[in-house]
Amino acid sequence: MTGFSYLYDGTLEGMLSAVFVAFQRKEYPENIIVEQDLQESLFCGYIPTLTNLEHAERVQSGILNTLGVRAYDDVKHAFLSDEPSKGGVILRYLQYTMKRGSRACTHLAAPAVHDFEELCSRVSKEAHYMLQFVRFAQLSNGVFFSQIAPKANVVPLIMDHFAARFNIQPFMIYDAVHGLTGVFDTERWWLVDARELQLPAHSLQEDEFQALWQTFFDTIAIEERKNPTCQRNFMPKRFWNNMCEQVPPQLRNLRPKTKTPTQAIQVKNRLLA
Amino acid sequence: MELLDKLTILADAAKYDVACTSCGVDRKAQKGQLGETTSAGICHAFSADGRCITLLKVLLSNVCSYDCAYCVNRRGNDIPRATFTARELAELTIGFYRRNYIEGLFLSSGVLRNPDYTTEQMCEVIHILRDEYHFRGYIHAKAVPGTSDELLVRLGVLVDRMSLNIEFPSEKSLKLLAPQKAGDAIIKPMGFIRDGIKANYQDKRLSTVRRTRFVPAGQSTQMIVGASPESDYQILNLSASLYRSFELRRVFFSAYIPVNSNPLLPTTSEVPLLREHRLYQADWLMRFYQFDVSEIIDEEHPFLDPLIDPKCNWALNHIDQFPAEVNRVPYEMLLRIPGVGVRSAKRIMLARRERALRFEDLKKLNVTMKRAQYFITCNGSYAQGVLFDPVGIYDKLTHNAQQRRFKGVLEGQLGLFEQEPQRALVRV
Repeated sequence: MTGFSYLYDGTLEGMLSAVFVAFQRKEYPENIIVEQDLQESLFCGYIPTLTNLEHAERVQSGILNTLGVRAYDDVKHAFLSDEPSKGGVILRYLQYTMKRGSRACTHLAAPAVHDFEELCSRVSKEAHYMLQFVRFAQLSNGVFFSQIAPKANVVPLIMDHFAARFNIQPFMIYDAVHGLTGVFDTERWWLVDARELQLPAHSLQEDEFQALWQTFFDTIAIEERKNPTCQRNFMPKRFWNNMCEQVPPQLRNLRPKTKTPTQAIQVKNRLLA
Repeated sequence: MELLDKLTILADAAKYDVACTSCGVDRKAQKGQLGETTSAGICHAFSADGRCITLLKVLLSNVCSYDCAYCVNRRGNDIPRATFTARELAELTIGFYRRNYIEGLFLSSGVLRNPDYTTEQMCEVIHILRDEYHFRGYIHAKAVPGTSDELLVRLGVLVDRMSLNIEFPSEKSLKLLAPQKAGDAIIKPMGFIRDGIKANYQDKRLSTVRRTRFVPAGQSTQMIVGASPESDYQILNLSASLYRSFELRRVFFSAYIPVNSNPLLPTTSEVPLLREHRLYQADWLMRFYQFDVSEIIDEEHPFLDPLIDPKCNWALNHIDQFPAEVNRVPYEMLLRIPGVGVRSAKRIMLARRERALRFEDLKKLNVTMKRAQYFITCNGSYAQGVLFDPVGIYDKLTHNAQQRRFKGVLEGQLGLFEQEPQRALVRV
């Protein structure tokens, strides 16, 4: 076995510098690995690469000029993936497309393009899950706070969306897996590295709103159509921990006292029968 | 009554309404105002029945002066009743929206006093949302049959989507089961909304923003399946004509769930979920796959085959047009291959410019080979071990369904019709 991999420092610039090195030396490394994550294997050589801003910028403008803005956005998306093979996938994609031109980005059956597309779409899908399932809770200082646990480092991808629609309220999205927090102060948003957070208590209204939402969530389901598999397919269970409507009914402190119309009729029908 | 109790009652009363979509209109965010809408819509949760929750779907009130036989909220039912105040409901919507629970509000209502009064009350809620809270999220409102034109206009400029439920696939059933909604009480306002959208859109004096102000996300409707004797043939032809003549965005189907006991209604305890599913598949073929309703169903076989989806059924009945050579046939034909969806058809179009596609490549492009393999060739050859034999294909495609049926597992989740399925005979 004569395979070898490049090592880089884990930043986008570092990755692009490594790509630069591969093009310059006309080499085909198997993967580009973050130095800290390295688990050495006997059958593989490792070549460290240095992060060089100038090289990174040349790769960036190369991609923009040859492949276009969308391809560069895709590379940034793919870079946010958690998969250890991402460096190799991105490099093979660039090696395949850069010499063939922008049309090669649509060669979906070519392995290099296909693997890259898959990687991108998994990241985009994860980001979309966040747009769907992020739940904010209002803290006593007025900030809306949300904790998430995504499979890819998607906080940078979702901040624009929330900053636009919630531009009247300060909010924070804390990614517990990647230790990254997106902060928005009603003017602009930025990212903060944070492994631990100390939070103020919920605002006065918060628990009532959560109880209302939980009640609505339970009530809107139709008993006769129950389909847990379908529910889980659309809303995987790994997100449920951070969604307040998934708190089991016995653990809630506020519950409705009235019967629903459907229940009332069912009781009556049973009495008649 | 506490808000929590009101919400329970009024969400329960609204849950039989199917439509819960937040799509069809793109409204960008604006500094200082809450909310935006995206044209694809966003689902924020999925309830235990697997249906998407994207809007806060409630009735303004479940007090109703009508007495429709199938409805939970009919006047004659002895159930808990509640009514939101306009401010209460507006604040609830905003509170939910700010926590990213919902995309907006779906507002329907029982008929309070008369249709006009009800619509006025609904307008009041939405007016508070739009003009006081400057809410830019999605709002879907039900138009109450019998509302005056002036009020429809007032409601139409406040909301994104409006809908009127056609309820039953034929006038006869409607007269029998919902006498107060019969006649042109539903069709007339539908036409009025369509004309309003058109007129507004074509009015060159208005700015482009204002031109799309009247019901920008269009209108939709829904009908109950399985409570009345109409066939799939009637249902699909009705929805095709609704798409054609009223330019509806969606026609929803709702499998009938018996709530009230009434001699006019069927007493089956089985919910026709599979039938509903097949109708939606047929609906998709009409909206996204360029199928005409006459290609999906005909008068001699008025029910869709429960064992096989309508696209496979069509392909088997037109087996002379197959096998399709994936590397050559035009886009329209790709769309007609079972197992190939809109996205995979587009991906095939792109990928085959570079190279002749093989079966392995198709799998990568997300083609469902389980179905597609019987209907395609790649570079002139069939997939390994596949024989081109229409009767054999039907048996293979329905193998699993037949097994389940044989074991009697089809009850409940995949309930069958009462009558024997009538399948269009395979013409070879």
